[in-house]
Amino acid sequence: MQFWRRKSLWLALSASWLLLILLGASPLLRLAVSPRPQPATPQGWPHWLDAALLQSFSQPEEPPEDVPQPSQALHGARCSWGTCFDTSRCRDDGLKVFAHPAAGTASETHRRILASLEGSRYHARSLTEACLFLLLSQGTSAGQCGPAPHHWDGGRNHLVINLHPDSCPRASQLGQAMVAEASPRVDTFRPGFDVALPLLPEAHPFRGGAPGQLRQHSPHPSAALLALGEEGGRWHTASTHSATCPWDGRCEQDLGPKQTHPGEKLPNATFCLIPGRRAEASRFLQALQAGCIPVLLSPHWELPFSEVIDWTKAAIVADERLPLQVLAALQEMAPARVLALRQQTQFLWDAYFSSVEKVIHTTLEIIQDRILGTSAHPSLLWNSPPGALLALSTFSRSPQDFPFYHLQQSSHPEGRFSALIWVGTPSQPPLKLIQAVAGSQHCAQIMVLWSRERPLPFRWPETAVPLTIMDGPRKVSDRFFPYSAISTDAILSLDAHSSLSTSEVDFAFVVWQSFPERMVGFLTWNHFWDESQDGWGYTAEMANEFSMVLTAAAFYHRYYHTLFTHSLPEALRTLADEGPACADVLMNFLVAAVTKLPPIKVPYGKLHQEAAPLAPGVPGSRPHPQPPDQDCINQMAAEFGHMPLVSSRLRLDPVLFKDPVSVQRKKYRSLEKP
Amino acid sequence: MCASVKHSSRGPALIPRMKTKHRIYYVALFSVVLLGLLATGVFQFWPHSIEASGDWAVEKRSAAVPVVRLPSDSPVPERGDLSCRMHTCFDVYRCGFNPKNKIKVYIYSLKKYVDELGMPVSGSISREYNELLSAIADSDYYTEDISRACLFVPSIDLLSQHALHIRETAQALAQLSRWDRGTNHLLFNMLPGGPPDYNTALDVPRDRALLAGGGFSTWTYRQGYDVSIPVYSPLSAEVALPEKGPGPRRYFLLSSQMAIHPEYREELEALQAKHGEAVLVLDKCTNLSEGVLSVRKRCHKHQVFDYPQVLQEATFCVVLRGARLGQAALSDVLRAGCVPVVIADSYILPFSEVLDWKRASVVVPEEKIADMYGVLQSIPRRQMEEMQRQVRWFWDAYFQSIKAIALATLQIINDRIYPYAAISYEQWNDPPAVKWSSVSNPLFLPLIPPQSQGFTAIVLTYDRVESLFRVITEVSKVPSLSKLLVVWNNQNKNPPEDSLWPKIRVPLKVVRTAENKLSNRFFPYDEIETEAVLAIDDDIIMLTSDELQFGYEVWREFPDRLVGYPGRLHLWDHEMNKWKYESEWTNEVSMVLTGAAFYHKYFNYLYTYKMPGDIKNWVDAHMNCEDIAMNFLVANVTGKAVIKVTPRKKFKCPECTAIDGLSLDQTHMVERSECINKFASVFGTMPLKVVEHRADPVLYKDDFPEKLKSFPNIGSL
Repeated sequence: MQFWRRKSLWLALSASWLLLILLGASPLLRLAVSPRPQPATPQGWPHWLDAALLQSFSQPEEPPEDVPQPSQALHGARCSWGTCFDTSRCRDDGLKVFAHPAAGTASETHRRILASLEGSRYHARSLTEACLFLLLSQGTSAGQCGPAPHHWDGGRNHLVINLHPDSCPRASQLGQAMVAEASPRVDTFRPGFDVALPLLPEAHPFRGGAPGQLRQHSPHPSAALLALGEEGGRWHTASTHSATCPWDGRCEQDLGPKQTHPGEKLPNATFCLIPGRRAEASRFLQALQAGCIPVLLSPHWELPFSEVIDWTKAAIVADERLPLQVLAALQEMAPARVLALRQQTQFLWDAYFSSVEKVIHTTLEIIQDRILGTSAHPSLLWNSPPGALLALSTFSRSPQDFPFYHLQQSSHPEGRFSALIWVGTPSQPPLKLIQAVAGSQHCAQIMVLWSRERPLPFRWPETAVPLTIMDGPRKVSDRFFPYSAISTDAILSLDAHSSLSTSEVDFAFVVWQSFPERMVGFLTWNHFWDESQDGWGYTAEMANEFSMVLTAAAFYHRYYHTLFTHSLPEALRTLADEGPACADVLMNFLVAAVTKLPPIKVPYGKLHQEAAPLAPGVPGSRPHPQPPDQDCINQMAAEFGHMPLVSSRLRLDPVLFKDPVSVQRKKYRSLEKP
Repeated sequence: MCASVKHSSRGPALIPRMKTKHRIYYVALFSVVLLGLLATGVFQFWPHSIEASGDWAVEKRSAAVPVVRLPSDSPVPERGDLSCRMHTCFDVYRCGFNPKNKIKVYIYSLKKYVDELGMPVSGSISREYNELLSAIADSDYYTEDISRACLFVPSIDLLSQHALHIRETAQALAQLSRWDRGTNHLLFNMLPGGPPDYNTALDVPRDRALLAGGGFSTWTYRQGYDVSIPVYSPLSAEVALPEKGPGPRRYFLLSSQMAIHPEYREELEALQAKHGEAVLVLDKCTNLSEGVLSVRKRCHKHQVFDYPQVLQEATFCVVLRGARLGQAALSDVLRAGCVPVVIADSYILPFSEVLDWKRASVVVPEEKIADMYGVLQSIPRRQMEEMQRQVRWFWDAYFQSIKAIALATLQIINDRIYPYAAISYEQWNDPPAVKWSSVSNPLFLPLIPPQSQGFTAIVLTYDRVESLFRVITEVSKVPSLSKLLVVWNNQNKNPPEDSLWPKIRVPLKVVRTAENKLSNRFFPYDEIETEAVLAIDDDIIMLTSDELQFGYEVWREFPDRLVGYPGRLHLWDHEMNKWKYESEWTNEVSMVLTGAAFYHKYFNYLYTYKMPGDIKNWVDAHMNCEDIAMNFLVANVTGKAVIKVTPRKKFKCPECTAIDGLSLDQTHMVERSECINKFASVFGTMPLKVVEHRADPVLYKDDFPEKLKSFPNIGSL
């Protein structure tokens, strides 16, 4: 009995304790050990349940901060754009620059820079007009700065240009002046204030400059992957597999056979390795010109114009300490990226670096952008063709307004045009022409530029579209003036002599909409190299190719009027005033220099060609075509520094043009009338 | 008690001969057990109410984390090296080669630091820093393996310098297990400096550590090394604001900050006096009733405004520097879709290394506050709306949460270490709508390749040897041909012996394929050395040498387009509500047949490796429409139309008239229409562009002696 009782007692006790432990112990234990976080191997950062209850880092109840002390003391080294440049001196019409005359004997480059400034849109006639003062630092030996010029004013609003590095002591001695220096050291460069210039070779062309060397978009399959700098500014290429440690000559024995002739002036490879030392900075431009993607190994210098140029699109900045990683990355780089990088090198070379003049103008444009603030060039305009020097920010800030960026902006040029009829030489009002143009469904307005030398006729034809007569004394270059009355993207430029049918106008305009950056015209000239004259010539003879279209009848974007008037040097515009033929050549030069492409020719009824000559020099009008002024083209080529014209061998016709099918099927049937 | 009675009443049956003494004993025992159970039940609820009182849990946590005692003479890091750059102070070897091109980030585990006397030297972790570390830990960057890490983030909260013991915090940093002079350590700080001089970078000595700081000026920011981050505003996260589209708003210019230097406030108020209603300058409220949060209200005279809601009523909002350059107000302003007007000389805007602030803000020098109104007025409306959209995108992508800030910071550092895999300007800056709609032509450089390069003709063939040989003979007459490639698509039959092939003046290569697939004609063979490719079928014998040569010349002027002979058109069928294929005599073209077409070799690469969706396999399976697919691909990637050359309308060979029956033609058209609809749905858009022109030689059909024309033999249909 006793035994039985004791047994049941123990049983009940142990059962109830078991129950207690099971139910009660686990929460008790949890409390006793610790709340979250679990101390044992946290997976990532622990997620706290009470995170929401933590204090914020900034307490809103915090007492308001002490009031600031406005404008701190200024030191040269601490200059920034907001504190050291006085924009109130600059007026709305952009940057005006006064260049201090060189003290003593100026070098040839300096003289030419000053001359080029005088003809440019930046030129300030007087000291008071200027908002930026330019000081070209003299001499190439270190430490020579030249005496401070008059009106130095502590360097305020001054830009000191050092085309050669280290030719002048550092900023601290230059007061509040900005420094534009070739390949400046990264640790002393003041971003947003100083300007980084490229390190130009001694014999860099002043104007125009050599075009990029790239002949094809994608690298040739057998082209070398890497080119490496050699002593004496030359390059040699290395085959892909052997170039495992190719710099500093440390692994020279591993380099394998040199694939191409050693010692090329310009590298012929997909990538160019450029060591980070400042002395090697000159190789950067060589690679750029050659279309060889620069691979910069930990550069100690600031990349040129880094304020505006997105170098990640054209170069690769890699770490010199990881050669194998860099090589592997280059070898595995996607073809799309290689393609894009290669093309960008060429665009940048051609837009900003190929001549001293471009480098100077780019520098000034950067400073102008800082002054303009919100109406400065957007990054897109700096970093895609044709570049910011050719896309004037004074025209518009919206990329859609330019002819170049419709693809990137997914926009379209406007569906209407303005006809601009130039009545230069005394003649009858072009009534027939006005009727034909007004008949086009795309025509928005017609403007007649009437020369004041003749009285205005009383009667103008009734037209469906607004007709504006503008009279005044006219120079030839006035026909390319950006009249504010031109409200459409497209301009149809016409001469009073021109004769066009509505069908021709319609078709040409539809073609222009596909090529808004080019000129679309009816009559063409071709340029050629004249061995006997040792110069350029051009002809109006019918030929299998052409490179210019006559502005006596051509569609083009209204932006080219702005570019013609505001970006061309004065000397060139004066040249254009000498004759309509010269103006035609100049306009074609300008558009070709911007687009690097030929103009487009559309079909032109034979009827007009015989009945009314469009312009001087059209065959059939005279037994001997009037010899266009050949002098003009050579002077322009000299002013541009190169020959921008490009020839084309095709004409764009309507799809069913002159096909043996029923005329009823054809949209532009009157184009084919005999 | 009641329960125990119940038990005892049942008791006799169970233990019948129990004595009273024992009974009491048992009752007591059961009561104890029951009390225990009850207590546990109560405890189940207790912990929650304890945690609800916040501090307690934090205390508990800090009691649980390991304590580190810092002797007062423990090392202090160097002050911080202003000349640090990635290639001097950063140890890239820790990042090594990484196929994913992602850095690995390690977070030190939480510790509590006390001085010699046991007094804590660091405050508890703030809510934001906890969020930040969680965000990193949840991201792809995180690693638990300290030896594989490339970047180290301490769990010491430095977000606000306000609460920090500078020297002791520095000592705490210095004893981190991988500190090594701060190499590869990333410190986050949003509120740097302190009275009276308010440094623009964190004052804690940090040697080589990278600083993600919220108030850098040009002279404390180490470009390309430090990262400038925004000052997070907890207020913006709390308040829900309705969506607001772009466009002008009630106030043109608004200033809403409370701590503004009196001189600046004067200037702002002068602006308000001058421009009236358009400008609103708010200040803190002085006469608020009890219980109203003063941070959520702003006043102008006696008018009270809700903050940050009032920011949504303004087009431009002033963000003026206070004692610090970085202001949390910037986040509030971005949140409200108001375009910030930043007035803080030498301030480095957040993420300025990658973000283009010109598109989303106006920077005004402090001296120019008085001129600000005119500057803003001169911004055209279109640009202003563009800025508003940009502000919205920046907020959504990089500012809206601590997580977004943390990930953007790590991405910036990641891009520096793996520059060849870096994110582009467009990816950082273009809002999604722009990214989708804009086209970036892969061959954007205007470049006319030299004629001397020539082209490579690729003939796809199966077994029509006789016809193939005729094509080879014909094509070899074209002056600019530089190589001929025959793609032998028949696996069951060997190509003819070498001696049987026509003898031509250029190299001829035969490539045998592994499978009879249509896509083989668009494969980027290594044998193709020229950029220009002429794809030509083995039965196209009617094209003259002039036509082909002219086609190549046209391609040179349009190297980014498909240049072909017969043109085709897609039309919208309004009855069926779908696309239709058209081969009739139309005035328009949108496609060219690739039975004979010139194009850039790169498009072969795109066709083979980058064709969207299943189009490539679909074409191979259906043995049709490879040309339509190519037309879609090129138009989609370049945004440009094809170029049709010469009048030619059909590839009709004399021998194949018999099969040109009507019924066959109709099923053919139906199939082709289906292809267009299928591809349009895969591309998600209709990329084809319609044009009304074709290319002819300059003197085509002109009254000019034929023998003087470059391409006289052109014109048959």
